Amino acid sequence: MSREHPGEFEVIVLLALVRLGETAYGVPIRHEIEKRTGRAVTVGALYRTLDRLETKGYVASWFGDPSPERGGRSKRYFRVGPLGIEALRQTEREMAAMWEGIDLKKVPHVS
Amino acid sequence: MSRKFPPLIAWLFRLRYGKSSEFVLGDVMEEYVKGGQSRWWVWRQLWSAYAAAAPGSAQTEGGDRMFWPLSNEIRYAMRTLSRNPGFAAVAILSIALGVGVNSAIFSLFNAAALRPLPVPDGGKMIGIYQTFHGNRGRNVHGEMGMLSTAEYQTYRDHNSVFSAMVAYSPFLKATLGGETPREILGTFASCNYFDVLGEPPAKGRGFLPSDCAAAGAGAVAVLSDDLWRERFSADPTIAGKTVILNRRACTVVGVARPEFHGTEAAFSSFWVPYTMQPALEAESAPNTFGNSNMSWLTVIGRLKDGETLARARADLNLIAARSDRQYPGRTTSLSIARANFASEPEVRSIVLGAGAVILLAVGMVLLIVCANLANLLLARALGRQKEIAIRFSVGATRAQLVRQLMTENLLVALAGGALGYLASFAAFGVILGAILNRLPADVPQFNLNVGPDLRVFGYTLAITLATGLAFGLAPALRATKINPKPDGGRSQGILRGGLVGAQVAACMVLLIAGGLLLRALYAAQTVDPGFQMKDVLAVSFDLRRQGYSDIRAAQFQRQLVERASALPGVDAVAQARVTPLSDTHVGYGLTFSGTSQELPVEINVVSPGYFALLQLPITRGREFAAGDRNAAIVTESTARRFWGGADAIGKTILVNGNHEFPATVIGVARDAQISHLGKSNETFVYLTPGVVDQGTLKLLVHSRPNQQAALRRLVRALDPDLAFDIRPLERNLEWWRTPLRILGVLAGSLGGLALLLASMGIYGVAAFAVSRRVREIGIRMALGADAGSVQGMILWQSMRPVLIGAAVGIAGCAAVSKVLSGILFGVSAYDPMAFAGVPVVLIAIASLASHLPARRAARIDPMMALRHE
Repeated sequence: MSREHPGEFEVIVLLALVRLGETAYGVPIRHEIEKRTGRAVTVGALYRTLDRLETKGYVASWFGDPSPERGGRSKRYFRVGPLGIEALRQTEREMAAMWEGIDLKKVPHVS
Repeated sequence: MSRKFPPLIAWLFRLRYGKSSEFVLGDVMEEYVKGGQSRWWVWRQLWSAYAAAAPGSAQTEGGDRMFWPLSNEIRYAMRTLSRNPGFAAVAILSIALGVGVNSAIFSLFNAAALRPLPVPDGGKMIGIYQTFHGNRGRNVHGEMGMLSTAEYQTYRDHNSVFSAMVAYSPFLKATLGGETPREILGTFASCNYFDVLGEPPAKGRGFLPSDCAAAGAGAVAVLSDDLWRERFSADPTIAGKTVILNRRACTVVGVARPEFHGTEAAFSSFWVPYTMQPALEAESAPNTFGNSNMSWLTVIGRLKDGETLARARADLNLIAARSDRQYPGRTTSLSIARANFASEPEVRSIVLGAGAVILLAVGMVLLIVCANLANLLLARALGRQKEIAIRFSVGATRAQLVRQLMTENLLVALAGGALGYLASFAAFGVILGAILNRLPADVPQFNLNVGPDLRVFGYTLAITLATGLAFGLAPALRATKINPKPDGGRSQGILRGGLVGAQVAACMVLLIAGGLLLRALYAAQTVDPGFQMKDVLAVSFDLRRQGYSDIRAAQFQRQLVERASALPGVDAVAQARVTPLSDTHVGYGLTFSGTSQELPVEINVVSPGYFALLQLPITRGREFAAGDRNAAIVTESTARRFWGGADAIGKTILVNGNHEFPATVIGVARDAQISHLGKSNETFVYLTPGVVDQGTLKLLVHSRPNQQAALRRLVRALDPDLAFDIRPLERNLEWWRTPLRILGVLAGSLGGLALLLASMGIYGVAAFAVSRRVREIGIRMALGADAGSVQGMILWQSMRPVLIGAAVGIAGCAAVSKVLSGILFGVSAYDPMAFAGVPVVLIAIASLASHLPARRAARIDPMMALRHE
């Protein structure tokens, strides 16, 4: 397995999956991200990212039961796999290392 | 509350993801149906689903960028276009022109035939019309498809889909009493009219159920804001005052909102309860309200929440089938559609037909624009060959390049479309003004809302995108063709030639149509209808509608004729039920002796002196004389048709009109264009007036000098409350000339525009061909070709597609010109002048356009040319 780093949006999606646990399918995932980041996420973007994460082996998915409010269409649930956890851990480590000792208020900048 | 998910969007999602990914659609549906998200949000999700699939977005990781999968292409396209502002400006402006004209015409069509009724929540209003099959007579006071009072009440009381149903009878002509009585247009309405429409009057009240308690009851009226301001000086205490309608006093109970003009395209000036019909039309149509076999009401229902048009159809058809059981042999078919100004089936077919023809005509202008731009792009592609080759060599695929070029083209199309859309609203005032200025003065005001709405926007967007595809796709595919075959130049030439041919063909159709209309207009100005209209005044009134009994009407007519004859300068006076060439036509069922079948024949009821006054020659027998009863005069064609060579005089005709009686033919009149301009009536019968006709007769006065003012005083003295109209008989011609003038101006200006665009296109192609062939021409000339033969070659090559296109255009126009034949008075739909003259002019202009580049080719200096490039 190559040491490929997840992108920013991929990390956000992975974290949303971790937070939601067993109840993670399209609608709650979008809501979770929107609630926490304030970013509007479209279904197209979300599923494209989830598909990519699945290809990378970071997440696994399975189908749930159909429900009437969805016009009889089933839900696709997602869960973060061991590789995904590993990738998150690594990202967290790298980010923490980079942020270490930084106080943005003290950084000189061109305004 | 759960909402219905738009099926179109579901379909588009399925198209994008396929059946195996239904969970995406499920997610979107779940959020939408729960009510949390707007329809706009659903569309954005759909867009994102497609955008995420676009190859251009492969590198982007974040979610936000995915809204704009083509952002790179768009940026690149902007740069390319801004580097070539001349091209961009020409392209955008010509698309704006083409799209603008189309958008303006469509918004007119939209206002007339598509917009829901202008009342709150008008989309829920459903119009109901009916057609009976099976041999059964039907009385009509309005349109055939309307309902009777009893039928309205049946549907109203038995349906389960409408929260309420209203009925109204539009176009009630009534005489408004006062110092100068005049005819105004009003509406008979069921008493729930204002409540159900959601249009409570601004002042006072609408109708109460008690107003509609019984036939003849409810002498109350709601006035339009216009009438209230004009006649009552916006009197704030109007409620309770009296207004005189058809000599009946009605109490004003309310004034409608200024924006409300009724539920028809023509403005309504007042509304009265429909139970007032027998009282207001006592002499002219006494038994309309109570007749269960009388078409006179337009019926509209307001759908209950959650009900659909399909359910309404099913429900009402059930009721209709139940009613049919009481009339064996009768079947009813209902026409149930969202109510608008053209939901009555006959009106609808006319409006849709006319709309289709006009939209087709303006569509042709857009087609010419597309052809021009496609040619421009083909020329431009040659200049970009190097750029395209470089992009290929660094690894771009053809699909990517086509996408890039199409992004540019669609960008240009959208910019042009947006400009045209905005400009069309400005242009609209001009177009509408041009049309209104050409309408006769007595046409009522129209209730057309031509403002933009979603439909106009959608139509404009659709034709804009279609335009982008039409002018852009072929050049984009052509420009990115790898390894062009050796004959690439040639096939490109064929494409260019085809485009020029298409332009010329479209232009030809418009110009010939314009030519036909202008010829017809000229004919209408100069045509001799076969009788004399000069110095004749027509005094029109409808005594029956204004409450005259037949006896009183006869008395009035006698006095009027006597006094009018006595006016100085008046040398002839006659009466007629219909003035010649007016918009009114009367048909009776006639049975000619020797035949057994009753035929519908157009007739007129005329007094003695009518033929002399109009100088209409009597060729056999004599004209009507005082004392003639039940006599008839037939036209020459009528006599020939029914009695062949035999003498018509003394033959009898069984007349089935107001009542049945036999009439004896006493004379034969020369054929003339009595009821249709440009068409001598083939069968036409004149009858003597009986007592029952007295209320319908109008007066014709031949005088020199014009005695209009004296006549006006005279009528006023006889009956100060009578609404009447005096105008020169020649004014009747306006009725025939108006549609010609409107269509002639429209077709002429479209044709002119098309001609300008097409000649630009022809010039552009010829000039481009010459510039590409400078070297070749130089070689030809170096080898001995003279200037004349070079010029001839270029001219011939650029004229060949023009000639082919012209031939196609002539054939195409011959195929469609029949639709115009109804208004081409005295001019054949294949008029040789139009069909020969227009092509000559068009080809002359085309030769001029290609002559200039050809002359330049002939001036090429071989030495310079060989050094060229």
